Amino acid sequence: MSRSWSSWKRTPFVAVGAVTALAVLTACGGGGGDATAAPGADGKPVDLTFWGWAKGTKEVVDAFNASHQNIKVKFEEIPSGNAGGYAKISNAVKAGNAPDLVSIEYPMLPEFVSQGSVQDIGALLGDDVKKKFLPQAVELTTLGGKNWAVPFDAAPQAFYYRKDLFTKYGVEVPKTWDEFRAAAQKVKKADAKARIGTFFPDDPTTFQAMAWQAGAQWFKAEGDTWKVNTTDPATTKVSAYWQKLLDDDLVRNNASFSPEWTNSLKSGGTIGYVGAAWGAGVLKGTLPEQSGKWAVAPMPTWDGKAASGMLGGSTFAVPKNSKKAAAAVEFAKWMTTTEAGIKARIASGTSSAFPAAAELRPVAKKAFDAAYYGGQDIYQVFEDAGTSINPNWAWGPSTGTTNSVIKDQFGKVTNGGTTIADAVKAGHDATVAELKKRGLKVEG
Amino acid sequence: MTTTKTAGTRPGAPAPGPDAPLATPPARTRPRSRTGGAAALLLTPFFVLFVLVMVVPIGYAVWLSLFSEKQSGLGFGGTETVFSGLGNYTAALGDPAFREGFVVLLGYCALYIPLMIGGALALALLLDSALARARRFFQLALFLPHAVPGIIAALIWVYLYTPQLSPVVEAMEAGGIGFDFFSPSGALPSVVNIALWEWLGYNMVIFYAALQAVDRSVLEAATVDGAGAWRTAFSIKVPLIRASVVMVALFTVIGSLQLFTEPLILNKGTGSAVTSTWTPNMYAYTAAFERNDYGLAAAASVLLALTAALLSFVVTKLSGGRKQKKAEKGATA
Repeated sequence: MSRSWSSWKRTPFVAVGAVTALAVLTACGGGGGDATAAPGADGKPVDLTFWGWAKGTKEVVDAFNASHQNIKVKFEEIPSGNAGGYAKISNAVKAGNAPDLVSIEYPMLPEFVSQGSVQDIGALLGDDVKKKFLPQAVELTTLGGKNWAVPFDAAPQAFYYRKDLFTKYGVEVPKTWDEFRAAAQKVKKADAKARIGTFFPDDPTTFQAMAWQAGAQWFKAEGDTWKVNTTDPATTKVSAYWQKLLDDDLVRNNASFSPEWTNSLKSGGTIGYVGAAWGAGVLKGTLPEQSGKWAVAPMPTWDGKAASGMLGGSTFAVPKNSKKAAAAVEFAKWMTTTEAGIKARIASGTSSAFPAAAELRPVAKKAFDAAYYGGQDIYQVFEDAGTSINPNWAWGPSTGTTNSVIKDQFGKVTNGGTTIADAVKAGHDATVAELKKRGLKVEG
Repeated sequence: MTTTKTAGTRPGAPAPGPDAPLATPPARTRPRSRTGGAAALLLTPFFVLFVLVMVVPIGYAVWLSLFSEKQSGLGFGGTETVFSGLGNYTAALGDPAFREGFVVLLGYCALYIPLMIGGALALALLLDSALARARRFFQLALFLPHAVPGIIAALIWVYLYTPQLSPVVEAMEAGGIGFDFFSPSGALPSVVNIALWEWLGYNMVIFYAALQAVDRSVLEAATVDGAGAWRTAFSIKVPLIRASVVMVALFTVIGSLQLFTEPLILNKGTGSAVTSTWTPNMYAYTAAFERNDYGLAAAASVLLALTAALLSFVVTKLSGGRKQKKAEKGATA
């Protein structure tokens, strides 16, 4: 519904955009009207259209427009990627009416690159800007030696829990996965209706982040061959662990951010959330009445040493048809690497994004009102987790297929329809078949 | 009642009589080119629309289904569209997910169609024999769900199916019935239930209208001959509205093949056992919009369309054949 609504809304802007593009092109027609020319240098502002869904984006765009004369950004909110946003973007690219800048999360970026949907923006980004970002984030946006997106946030994992209820039930915050299981048992014993966390059957990326944390490497590029392995020992360990938690009814099995899940958080039926840095803002926005009751802890690990995967995290990419890449990248750089850009987003109160640009983390920390977490220094938790992100992980070029198959299978894990391990294996087989169909070399 | 008795034929049929032959000759002698011109003029809008919204899209789908996107290296150099012949068709048929979609459809039809036809027929017969005042009310009440758009209906039902949220599930649990509407075994009945809720009233109205057209004198004759309500319903009424039953069956079969909206809503955001490729239609949708494989999506759609065409042919052929036989029997008797 929202999709058709916003595409109706979009039409006039596409027309406006096309007219302006024409005006800009004719204006600089004489000398070097290429995409790398400084935007708005001829005195006429460049109009950009930007599609995204991350919290606080509207505030960021407003702040940008208020402080810039050469570029004017029109923000259009689309459904989040997996809820139809990605389909909307790829269709718009195919139809030739995509905006100038779009939000794409790290897992999906290779898919868009492999479809040829986005532009190489390496020349516009520049090496000095790249150095500002967390190396892992740059690595994930560099594919085939080219830069395809401006990383915005890193999304180190974090464990959120109800501090008041943990104290009430006498449960210690778990540091290892063994302790997590023991804590889960204790929670259930203390209150038969309460659970420590949730397995999200609709969101394979949460599972992948846990496999990533355990040291798995699903995709490896060697020469021009993809080595796919989603059933390595690390993944198998994680599958078996969560399967056991589900079998013993120690965690819930609910779709992420579903009314069912939110309801159980509200009622105290779910008192923990295995998530990522951005989750702090989401919890705060979803459950305002539980202010002061939540706290953040590092993710439990397998050996007690800090380790993290990355769960989601946004990048900004320029669709291939856009003629305004220079202006788009300038805007993206402003959002990701300037104090004002970060401040505007975090100050919206709904975002707890952990900037990929290291020097801006103090800005984010200052702008975030941590009263919800009892004044806890949550950005320090993210900082520690961020440095421990396992750098070996890469996303393959067919995340759309991989994740839709795993998601389908995860949905059947309830009532013993299948197991997590079998679901992941199905994802593996579908991925290999898909890559072969595309004419790529695959091993696995 | 009176009109049927006096005319003895369907309204609109040419009145028999000595005037009839006189009225027809001028039409026959009318110059052929004029009729042809009028026909062409009147049919043009239809054919223009038919070509634009039917032939062209189908042709485009068939065209798309013959190509696939190939990549080279690690796949980050963009795509190249190459002719792949029937490659997409073999890929779709070779994909267990696509084949399972047809198995799901088969299960759906097996459960849904008897319930739908039987239910709608039963309700229509009840309505036909009920008091006039109750008739109005029930006709409206039963038809009302059909006025709710399918997507809204599905959203309402998802709410009613969701544990911890739904009063229905809560009540069932309190009564000792634990049923998970989203589980692998519960998904099919859940979808069938939504579809029944939406379409039962609609089909009932069709049957009811057909029952209203049944000649009352026949029913009176049956009563005089001593037939009870049951006997009248099954030996007189149902055989007389056979044509409507066959039509509803045909529409229901074709509608079932296109099952999409309700399971899609159940798939998105519930974590249910309804997969993104649960029905062939959903398979095509997922191939196009989640896997970016338009060729595969087109091939899957063409295969589904062929199945629908084949099935409609079989259903019409079967019912038409029977009718003819019956007519022949009637003639010889």
